Amino acid sequence: MKIQKEAMAGTLESSDLLVKVMPNTGIEIVINSDVNKQFGDQIRAVVNQTLNDLNVTDGLIIIDDKGALDCAIRARIQCAVLRGAEEENLDWSKLL
Amino acid sequence: MKKLRRSMLFLPGANAAMLSTSFVYKPDSIMFDLEDAVSIKEKDSARLLVAQTLKMPVYKEHNIETVVRINALNTPFGLKDLEAVVRAGVDVVRLPMTNSAEDIHELEAHVERIEKECGREVGSTKLMAAIESAQAVVNAVSIAKSSPRLIGIALAAFDYLVDMQTERGDGTELFYARCAVLHAARVAGIDAFDVVYSNVNDDEGFLKEVNLIKKLGYNGKSLINPRQIELLHNAYAPTASEVENAKKVVEAAEEGERKGLGVVSLNGKMIDAPIITRAQKIIELAKYSGVRKEI
Amino acid sequence: MYDLVDYTIINISKSEQDYQEIKLLLSRSDLDLDSQVTLFMVAKIHDKIIACAGMDRNIIKCVAIDPQYRGNQLNLTLMDQTIKYANENGYFHLFLYTKPENIDFFKGCGFYPIVEITDLVVLMENNPVGIKQYCKQLNAQKKEGKKIGSIVMNANPFTKGHQYLVQYAESQCDWLHVFVVNENASQFSFDTRLKLVKDGTNQIKNVTVHASSPYIISRATFPTYFLKDKTKIDQAYMGIDLLIFRNYIAPALNITHRFVGTEPIDEVTKAYNEAMRYWLEDNTVSSLPAITVVEVERITESNCVVSASLVRKLLATGQYEQVKTLVPPTTWDYLSANLDKFKI
Repeated sequence: MKIQKEAMAGTLESSDLLVKVMPNTGIEIVINSDVNKQFGDQIRAVVNQTLNDLNVTDGLIIIDDKGALDCAIRARIQCAVLRGAEEENLDWSKLL
Repeated sequence: MKKLRRSMLFLPGANAAMLSTSFVYKPDSIMFDLEDAVSIKEKDSARLLVAQTLKMPVYKEHNIETVVRINALNTPFGLKDLEAVVRAGVDVVRLPMTNSAEDIHELEAHVERIEKECGREVGSTKLMAAIESAQAVVNAVSIAKSSPRLIGIALAAFDYLVDMQTERGDGTELFYARCAVLHAARVAGIDAFDVVYSNVNDDEGFLKEVNLIKKLGYNGKSLINPRQIELLHNAYAPTASEVENAKKVVEAAEEGERKGLGVVSLNGKMIDAPIITRAQKIIELAKYSGVRKEI
Repeated sequence: MYDLVDYTIINISKSEQDYQEIKLLLSRSDLDLDSQVTLFMVAKIHDKIIACAGMDRNIIKCVAIDPQYRGNQLNLTLMDQTIKYANENGYFHLFLYTKPENIDFFKGCGFYPIVEITDLVVLMENNPVGIKQYCKQLNAQKKEGKKIGSIVMNANPFTKGHQYLVQYAESQCDWLHVFVVNENASQFSFDTRLKLVKDGTNQIKNVTVHASSPYIISRATFPTYFLKDKTKIDQAYMGIDLLIFRNYIAPALNITHRFVGTEPIDEVTKAYNEAMRYWLEDNTVSSLPAITVVEVERITESNCVVSASLVRKLLATGQYEQVKTLVPPTTWDYLSANLDKFKI
């Protein structure tokens, strides 16, 4: 899956995250988190796994995390990617 | 013990903070809303957020039933919502604006197909119907009896009162609907849920309404503020004297059985089967929720 | 319990009360109301504005919050709503002006500093790699040489004056990079201006014509430039624009010199030329190498200084023969085919 256009999902509210995606050659991920010190590695692992499951090959992914739980991280990334890839037909077996 | 459904907490499906912390309030059921509480622009994001949230183990751990109010099936969102939440393992799907048994049959067919597609046990997804029109109130019995998947029907006031050309007041406006919905639920052997009480700052008014629906026989009520959960649970908890009395009833019944008495009496009053069943329920409930605290 | 906060968009040019409330709120944060901002995302409690964020297309400025209500959540929600609103209106790449003391808060909202004028103002963008990516693209067009020149021009439209400046600069350098201002705020569209610059410099060797970007004389970096009424000359904005050039653009292309025509008339351009010497040449304002500013005397045509504004004036009044003497044949070809567009 390729990011075709700029898109975002989520919010900057506490316990949430804002995910922005934009076209790029290859994958580039920038994570900016309030809880980076304690959970930086865990967040990165969830982000990578989610992008992998969606088979995202090209895109710039920018994440501003406000201490969100893993489930919210997954959901927001999926939403931003699907919006940015203009993907309508979802394969739920890969999303859940 | 049968699953208690006193409190059903409504949560807007797009709000990550509320979704991630709601379980700490320990409602009996949590209802994630994908319908009215979510703007058209956020339907896709809320659907994904709710689906991912449903996969968290905390709800099972805390014995909290998960309910999702999907969008109506005749909207562009309803079926997508259903696909997501059935696969994510939701306990109960709540259908808004259920007007007839056919609405439930249509929903049921989709649920069964999705269950088969994703390998979920057929029949494991339960349903709940929201009664929110005059038509639905009149059809309540056939709706309540329409599917073995139904665990309850819920009265929702807003659209119903518009339909009835009146507005929310002291409860008179809901008098018939409350009775009709409750009767339908009892005929079908399922639970009945009352409307939300939207003034979150008026505890007194809230408790007055809770006592009314409890006396009518409702299983519980939909809530929009976590603060209302404890108030509601406390109001539904038996009083210390009720528990005391129930224990005496059960003891007397057991005593009678041991002695082989056909008729048992306590303090000069006859105790028959319904009284014994009720007493047992009170004791069970007290074990689960404690006795009522005076406030 | 808690107060319910409403977030809504207001247009202060449509309501005197809103205008006064915003002005007061900003003044309590020591901020002036920017004349270019009329749209504000505001937070209201009981109909009173307690926080605001101004929006000029993709640029956020005049962000203030009532001191009584300062708390992270309100701030964050306000910014969240502002970003969403901009996004819904097609603005995804956002810039933000604030005081340097607020950098950390806005970092938490996904904004990253580009350049800062100490104690005064900082320009941020909502993309951690925005300007870096742009510089990477520029870097691919880098040319070898000791003396690499640059010109930034609006070319509205391209005149003999511009052509002369390019010729002169090129003769002084190993290579010349020309940036055409990429905003559609001028009479001639960006596409037209770019085409006329390319056509008019076609015969000159060792020149690359670049479409400029939001990082070089744009609404974001130098809003004053695009004002109709250029009475207020904001030194801080000029510093922002020129520091970006010095700290990012020039290093990406090894630029050592910047050429500019003398400005006898326009006050903003004049001030910008003066500011150039300070922000590009002074060693105290940046740790990056100085860029030599070369002011080139403008050419004249029958005792008139050749300028694009003169060309526009003549076009509007139908004095085509005079126009023809001021622009290169490539520009005239375009103008003569489109004369009806320029008449008042």
